[in-house]
Amino acid sequence: MRSEILYPGAFPMVRVELAAGEQLKAESGAMVGASPTIDVESKMEGGFLGALSRKLLTGEKFFFQTLRASRGPGEVLLAPTVLGEIVVLELDGVNEYMVQKDGFLAGAETVTIESKMQSFTRGLMGGEGFFILKIGGKGTLILNSFGAIHRIDLKPDQEYIVDNSHMVAWSATTSYTIERASSGWVASFTSGEGFVCRFRGPGVVYIQSRNPGGFGAWIRQFIPVSE
Amino acid sequence: MELHPNALCFGSELPASGAPCLVRFGGQGLTVTFASESSAGWSEEVPFTALSVSVGGLDHDQLVLKWNGDRGERALYLKDADLIRSFRRSAPEQLHVPFEQAAELARLARRRRRMVWGVVAGVVLVLSAGLWWGGDLLVALAVERIPPEWEQKLGESAYRDFLAHQDIIKEGPAVSAVQEMTRRLVEQIPNNPYRFEVSVVKSDVVNAFALPGGYVVVFTGLLRQAASAEEVAGVLGHELSHVLQRHGLERIVKRLGLVVAASIVFGDQQGLVGLMKRFGVELMTLKFGREQETEADRTGLHLLYRAKIDPSGMIRFFERLSEKDEGRMEWLSTHPMSHGRAERLKTELAAMPRLSPVPFTFEWAAVRESVGAPLSAEP
Ligand SMILES: [Zn+2]
Repeated sequence: MRSEILYPGAFPMVRVELAAGEQLKAESGAMVGASPTIDVESKMEGGFLGALSRKLLTGEKFFFQTLRASRGPGEVLLAPTVLGEIVVLELDGVNEYMVQKDGFLAGAETVTIESKMQSFTRGLMGGEGFFILKIGGKGTLILNSFGAIHRIDLKPDQEYIVDNSHMVAWSATTSYTIERASSGWVASFTSGEGFVCRFRGPGVVYIQSRNPGGFGAWIRQFIPVSE
Repeated sequence: MELHPNALCFGSELPASGAPCLVRFGGQGLTVTFASESSAGWSEEVPFTALSVSVGGLDHDQLVLKWNGDRGERALYLKDADLIRSFRRSAPEQLHVPFEQAAELARLARRRRRMVWGVVAGVVLVLSAGLWWGGDLLVALAVERIPPEWEQKLGESAYRDFLAHQDIIKEGPAVSAVQEMTRRLVEQIPNNPYRFEVSVVKSDVVNAFALPGGYVVVFTGLLRQAASAEEVAGVLGHELSHVLQRHGLERIVKRLGLVVAASIVFGDQQGLVGLMKRFGVELMTLKFGREQETEADRTGLHLLYRAKIDPSGMIRFFERLSEKDEGRMEWLSTHPMSHGRAERLKTELAAMPRLSPVPFTFEWAAVRESVGAPLSAEP
């Protein structure tokens, strides 16, 4: 499997070349185009219940799609729904990433995806819901962000504070605690704002340069309201 | 040689995401063999005596071994269960204590997490049960915890918003009449936490409403349609009772849902004002419940009685309402009418000692005339 990011920036697309027989898991709806040798199957990772719980609990808009090069080698083009960057990670079998529910775009067959229940406070305050994806295994993992993706490297015990709505993915070796950025948690709880995550290394943290909720609020002011 | 890494090694010259490496434990210490391209095949041996043990990772599920090597500080993150077992077998006695401490920490974290989720599940269960059997109780508890100042803030912002688009009568017989009625009623409220404010708004709407916190609006339509000052006073008595009993707040909390009610009961309540402001507009169209209506009728009646205003005016008004003058009696849309409302009040009044009412200082006919009612016609 080889991947290449086309048109890097706000409107990227990723091209993945698959050898005969190779397959790729992708967020359903992410496929833009594919060679005629590629077959698309909707496969439910983790069985029906797994997929259902992922859908219900993480609010994901998808069951995964499997793109398989069943009739010879070929390529697929994938793009995220929102405007923003794409990043390709090579998982080595030891590194694991926690990925916020909208951050996953695609992954090799050998990449494992698991919905994980977070601790209650993180789930409630973290802004990424009670369930996040734990992605491990070996092979290519493709993530997408809203806006540009920025990588923060943390040495052991090094700390960094990130607004919770900007989190995309972080290595499982990092830990984080939720802190209140302002008072009034009922408002925060309904708007998903006002909390920050204090990350502690070692590991890497990927953040997005735009806040989806904030963007939504900004857009909303231009939408005429009917009485 | 194909290497199957089983751990991540962190250090100043290693990648921030950690260098995959193979860790093996021997009699004297551990051997780390790096798998990454830059340092492939390169090994480092560390004696047990140099190691410190702790737990790490998001879920406290990784064993962390740290040491100071030739190349600075190093940290190994292990999560493979077999590898951790192997460490335990080969580690010397002096590392057992820190290892057990670390393991205990990890267990505690897991247990605490399970417990929190258990408590959450329990609370959700209790809340659902509560909703089923005692949702009202929870709402009442929540409402009780909201300080009147916030209620006032909420009511005031809705009140100002509303008045901004209305034709307000600033002075004249109608304003002084309504103010006199309100004053006489408010004087009878023991330990009144609210500062009641009344406005008369030019409109054909036959209605009056009171917002949480004591902001009252009377429409000229009501004044035109009321046959006597006592009828209007009856409506005011009823409206003030809604405020005093915090019925609006109850409706809002109910509307916002049980989760918010629970958060007010169990958590802090500061965010509520902001949240309620979004519902501020709805305050105007807030429909009260049947029980709240009955309660407001009853307390309104007592309030009138204590203020020495003839409560039969209120009863008369209800009777006229139930004569189904649809379309004109907007009051019904925000105060659902139930059968026998006037009857119930009659019974209630009959049980009270006879009252010798104190008349108002204004002339009702003049008040009605000032808001455009025909001079002598019966409404
Ligand atoms: Zn009412």
